[in-house]
Amino acid sequence: MKQEMEKARKHSWWAVLSNPIFRRYARSRLRPRGLGVALLLSGLVAGFIFALARSVAMNRIGMEISDAERAPLVGLVVLQGVILFVLGTAQVAGGMTAERDEGVIDYQRLLPMSPLAKVLGFLFGLPVREWAMFGVTLPFSVWGLWRGEVETAVWVKLYGVMLSTALLYHLTGLVTGTVVKNRRWAFLVSIGLVFCLYTVIPQLAKFGLVGFQYFTITPVFREALPGLLPRDAGAAVETAQRLLPTVKFFDLDLPEAIFTAFSQAGLILTFVWMLCRRWRRSESHLLDKGWATGFFVWTQVLLLGNALPQVEPGNLFPSRGLTGLVGFARPQPPDANEAVAVIGVYGVFTVVMLWVFASMITPTAERQRAGWRRARKQGRKRLPVAGDAASGFGWVALMAVAGGVAWWIFARGVVESKWFPGQVVDGGVLAGFLLVTVALGLGYQALLEWRGARFVGLSMLLIGVVPLMAGAVLGTVRNSLTPVAAWVMGISPVLIPAYGAGALLDLSELPALLVRAVPAAFKFWTALALLGMLRVAWGLWRERSRIAAGEN
Amino acid sequence: MDADKGEMAIQVRDLRVDYGNFIAVDDLRLEVPRGEVFGLVGPNGAGKTSTFRVLATLMEPTYGEVYLDGVDVLENVEEARRIVGYMPDLAPVPRDLRVREFLEFHAAAYGVSSSRSGRRERVAECLAEVALEDQAEAWCHRLSRGQTQRVVLAKTLLHRPRVMILDEPASGLDPLARRDLRNALRRLASAGTTVFVSSHILSELAEMCTSLCVMNRGRLLAAGTAEEVWQALGNGRRELKISFLKRAAEAVRWLGGRAGVEDIREADGGVTLGFSGTDDEQADLMEGLIREGFRMRAFEEKRSSFEEILVGVAESNRRDG
Repeated sequence: MKQEMEKARKHSWWAVLSNPIFRRYARSRLRPRGLGVALLLSGLVAGFIFALARSVAMNRIGMEISDAERAPLVGLVVLQGVILFVLGTAQVAGGMTAERDEGVIDYQRLLPMSPLAKVLGFLFGLPVREWAMFGVTLPFSVWGLWRGEVETAVWVKLYGVMLSTALLYHLTGLVTGTVVKNRRWAFLVSIGLVFCLYTVIPQLAKFGLVGFQYFTITPVFREALPGLLPRDAGAAVETAQRLLPTVKFFDLDLPEAIFTAFSQAGLILTFVWMLCRRWRRSESHLLDKGWATGFFVWTQVLLLGNALPQVEPGNLFPSRGLTGLVGFARPQPPDANEAVAVIGVYGVFTVVMLWVFASMITPTAERQRAGWRRARKQGRKRLPVAGDAASGFGWVALMAVAGGVAWWIFARGVVESKWFPGQVVDGGVLAGFLLVTVALGLGYQALLEWRGARFVGLSMLLIGVVPLMAGAVLGTVRNSLTPVAAWVMGISPVLIPAYGAGALLDLSELPALLVRAVPAAFKFWTALALLGMLRVAWGLWRERSRIAAGEN
Repeated sequence: MDADKGEMAIQVRDLRVDYGNFIAVDDLRLEVPRGEVFGLVGPNGAGKTSTFRVLATLMEPTYGEVYLDGVDVLENVEEARRIVGYMPDLAPVPRDLRVREFLEFHAAAYGVSSSRSGRRERVAECLAEVALEDQAEAWCHRLSRGQTQRVVLAKTLLHRPRVMILDEPASGLDPLARRDLRNALRRLASAGTTVFVSSHILSELAEMCTSLCVMNRGRLLAAGTAEEVWQALGNGRRELKISFLKRAAEAVRWLGGRAGVEDIREADGGVTLGFSGTDDEQADLMEGLIREGFRMRAFEEKRSSFEEILVGVAESNRRDG
């Protein structure tokens, strides 16, 4: 009997179908009444797309039967995307928050299951109805793929990445639902985060940061598109696609699907790690310091590996990408300022990433006090370096250096390319970039650790946003005020990296009105940021010493 | 596991819980032997729920050691979760499940049986234990407060936990259900389960517990049997009312010089006084009165109730801010 109990007690994380949490949601979300309506609706819409597209292709356009069978495929893929990515993600985020809202999440916390088993139970259980709805649309797709004679490699890649993308989005919803306490906010934040992560940030591909689009299904869908469309349309799309860059990671030529899987895997693992940490201890930071630093470096490697091979063919530069797409006869060589802008965007992004990661690993004063009380009780003289209670200062310093170096490597790759002969990015630029990432990254972290999130939020509003607004207004008053506007906007830490690219690179060809203002503003505000960082770091050090001594 | 840990179902050493600068539990030390129904009582904000949440593995303390049946709760979380059953205050239930489904889910998660029929059998047993067999198919969120409490108690019983932690389990229950709860807890204790139960109603705990402790401001004020706790917190103080046939004023003077006697008042041929001391000392006082020739017509003893003691504790908190 005891053996039987022990056997039954162990829930393997990989046995999803027998996972009690999955089964609990399968029970509640697959009740005939609610499920029937959902299946009817998705079946109706899928059937409508299928019938309409086939009918138009056969009867109006007069396509051959095997071509006409392909006509509904793209519409069905879009419908499946809406079901899995939008409805599924919203359900996961909302469902997770509802657990906490109702107060039953503590019961789940208490279950003697591993954190990973719990995460997978929720991941597959909460959107189980949406998976069922997706299943209802599949017969229409299968018919189209079979009768339309779509190559196996095409649909395997497409649906493989669709599933991994759905998991990624659902994990995003799960993380949001776990972090955001308010149910309505969780829904909005998850939709906002999904939109930002998988729609807005991939747009940075237009400014050189091509790696982010591989968090989405877009590249694989684009690659699969010619094979899904009726043959004539597919051939036309394929011709147009020859102008698009192929995916490369440093010197490796990789299939889109493999690189997408590689990119998504890092994010999926990180989200799962975050959730496991929270299930183990609900008070934990989302990421531990080591993982956060590793993930930051991984992101930089991903961006560099993906962006640098696009420099020589010129695909990294927005103007060439655009002229290529609209079919101009001879794309012009990239403009020097375009290159500077791309480098500036990379710098801004790196600094913003630093702030995001710093926010995730910086302990509050309360957490530090608790950590020190524990350490003193246990007779230790230091906090564990990677523990949640320990300072994040050193870790952010590591990230800042890694970010500065990555930014410099990117700048070198762009500037010392065939497009700008004779141009060199020297060690002085590296020092300048490091100064920017260290001053802004560490300044933010130290302020956050010393004065708390509310103070930093307000500071970011006043120093980060208001100068941008004021400068924008000033710049429109009259031309002579443009240098003043540049000085005012330069206060914002968000713009300092962009100013850095403009001021430090010889390549830069600033307009006459800005040629003195931008470098001067950059030097002045960066020096001030550095001094500010040192002052804040000093304040933090004193505060931490007081906490360590148990004075407050 | 050392011998000491083996004998005790619950061991708490130097437990501290902080919320910012507020100390919710302050270096608490506590031991509960196996098979006890042990009560924890204290005014609001005493640190009861924080203590329970740490014991139930739901919260990481600032520091301290907690062992449940010899298992280190902070080190072996999953193992500890197998032996503990926790019922929170204002126990919630999910909106989208029926009572039977809710219990079957937990039975499966706790690995109550490897067969579905085995789990169903256990669910039926637990529903019978809390007298809710007729509500098995009801939606959880449609139940009354008292029924909800009982459903969650049934959930807590499912995996036959060795240690049960019940935070205010009697709140919302009618007198009949309270009596049933009391009986159920006693049955569990006699079967070897250790029950740690909290309430802010001390008399309620005194009725159902074999021993109890009182917490205030994160600290343990007293622990032991109900009598021992009363002695410790009420300082053994009681009010005595003695009616004399005559010489009442003389008796007042005589009593005024005795140890432990205070607040003497004479009224209607009788005397009311406060007395702090043991039962033996009280008997000596009575014997002294008789020896001195005071003829007593009636005698009445009134102890300060548990509620009065707790009110005193809470009022002193309020005074101290």
